[in-house]
Amino acid sequence: MAVPVPWACCAVLAAAAAVVYAQRHSPQETPHVQYERLGSDVTLPCGTANWDAAVTWRVNGTDLAPDLLNGSQLVLRGLELGHSGLYACFHRDSWHLRHQVLLNVGLPPREPVLSCRSNTYPKGFYCSWHLPSPTYIPNTFNVTVLHGSKIMVCEKDPALKNRCHIRYMHLFSTVKYKVSISVSNALGHNTTAITFDEFTIVKPDPPENVVARPVPSNPRRLEVTWQTPSTWPDPESFPLKFFLRYRPLILDQWQHVELSDGTAHTITDAYAGKEYIIQVAAKDNEIGTWSDWSVAAHATPWTEEPRHLTTEAQAPETTASTTSSLAPPPTTKICDPGELGSGGGPSAPFFISVLVTLALAAAAAAAGSLLI
Amino acid sequence: MLPAAGEPAAGDSWGMLACLCTVLWHLPAVPALNRTGDPGPGPSIQKTYDLTRYLEHQLRSLAGTYLNYLGPPFNEPDFNPPRLGAETLPRATVNLDVWRSLNDRLRLTQNYEAYSHLLCYLRGLNRQAATAELRRSLAHFCTSLQGLLGSIAGVMAALGYPLPQPLPGTEPTWTPGPAHSDFLQKMDDFWLLKELQTWLWRSAKDFNRLKKKMQPPAAAVTLHLEAHGF
Repeated sequence: MAVPVPWACCAVLAAAAAVVYAQRHSPQETPHVQYERLGSDVTLPCGTANWDAAVTWRVNGTDLAPDLLNGSQLVLRGLELGHSGLYACFHRDSWHLRHQVLLNVGLPPREPVLSCRSNTYPKGFYCSWHLPSPTYIPNTFNVTVLHGSKIMVCEKDPALKNRCHIRYMHLFSTVKYKVSISVSNALGHNTTAITFDEFTIVKPDPPENVVARPVPSNPRRLEVTWQTPSTWPDPESFPLKFFLRYRPLILDQWQHVELSDGTAHTITDAYAGKEYIIQVAAKDNEIGTWSDWSVAAHATPWTEEPRHLTTEAQAPETTASTTSSLAPPPTTKICDPGELGSGGGPSAPFFISVLVTLALAAAAAAAGSLLI
Repeated sequence: MLPAAGEPAAGDSWGMLACLCTVLWHLPAVPALNRTGDPGPGPSIQKTYDLTRYLEHQLRSLAGTYLNYLGPPFNEPDFNPPRLGAETLPRATVNLDVWRSLNDRLRLTQNYEAYSHLLCYLRGLNRQAATAELRRSLAHFCTSLQGLLGSIAGVMAALGYPLPQPLPGTEPTWTPGPAHSDFLQKMDDFWLLKELQTWLWRSAKDFNRLKKKMQPPAAAVTLHLEAHGF
């Protein structure tokens, strides 16, 4: 019982406000929409009122200072974006609404940027465009596609409003395509066009699902697999070739491999124990340009399981540890095999130290025999 | 290789070309190589494909030089003239669905006929002002193109398809119309080179398709079979 009362109270107030609002706006008074250029000056007359009529101007419900008035006209100088809004002038005494203007401050369009690309060869291509700087007011775009003298239809993209698609009717054409776009808004218009051959705009999407895996028991290998981009409609008749690049994260220089077919490759010269970043790009075998690089895959080559340090504080994580059967503890190793991955892991320093000792012994014997 | 310079008036050059082309058409076809233990047409299809790539590469430098020789506007990258004249040039352009559904014999035949015509026209590309180097490059290209023709003929023979013989009346003749102006002659040259380049791109795709179809089932390479709706 106590709860419905405040709700009823609000409903009554809302209804009252609506009535007052309706009274202040006669039904035939719809705002006049006006577009003006950023930085310009504009004078808004109060509808059909005389110049010397006594009026008050409001913008978005806020009163405006009388020093902006020239008689009954509102003068705005040096328009800024903040000036956009609903301007209304009222008869000063009766508060009768005389006139409303919805002011939009903006700019005429600069020359649009247009580009076309075929990532679905031979099905078709798409063109996309944008304005190099915003106009702040609504723009309409009109795209026309000419193939020689024939007009082709550019179907709007269902999701992206600045893209449209063209289907190839004929392949292997010697005649160029010309795509023109015109953009216009209330303050002006602009246009641009590009011309190109069928083959020059072919650029596939990057390969998908790039996965890099270590190869068991091979500390210098990484197996990379990927898939042809799903947007490429016919890899059988229009095969792609691939370009693979990889580097360890700690270095800046990339290694490159070009592959004429297949969607897998094994890197055999990876630095042991270092994390690698790998990317793949695709290109039609004969025409067009390389795709962008794929999403990067990361992987570290296989390394032998680390030996457990001989301190009581560290409890071994697994009972089945693959400890080397060779004795020397890590603290006595002569050199670190990790940098060059000369296979074999922690047992290496022992062998090296043995070899060095033998070599020194042999050298000493030889030197001794020479001295005699 | 090229006919002697300076003989005909500009308007008659195509007529003379027609005569020349007629002669070439009736030359015996290049015999196919009979190899024992023939692994099938696969290797020769691959060879033909490789030849198209080689020729396309060769053409790029040849066309650049030749268009510079023709001078502007022919050597401008934005040059986009309407396709007028050059009606008898074999056109590579084809409807997408038609191209897809070509059977092997037709695909090969179209390639063979196109290059026969194009070779013929190329041999007639004889400019009085042409430099010796240009003539040499053209001659070299014609030789390579002849090699491509032979390779295609080899594939057709291996697959048991007869080489196309010109029917009477459909030979590549040029009806001698009004005298060709120098500019129109250059336009014809421009379209010849353009069509040649496009045909080489198309042939690469044609032979790719043939290669995939001829692929023997017991391939050493593991094929990732994906269901593609054609």
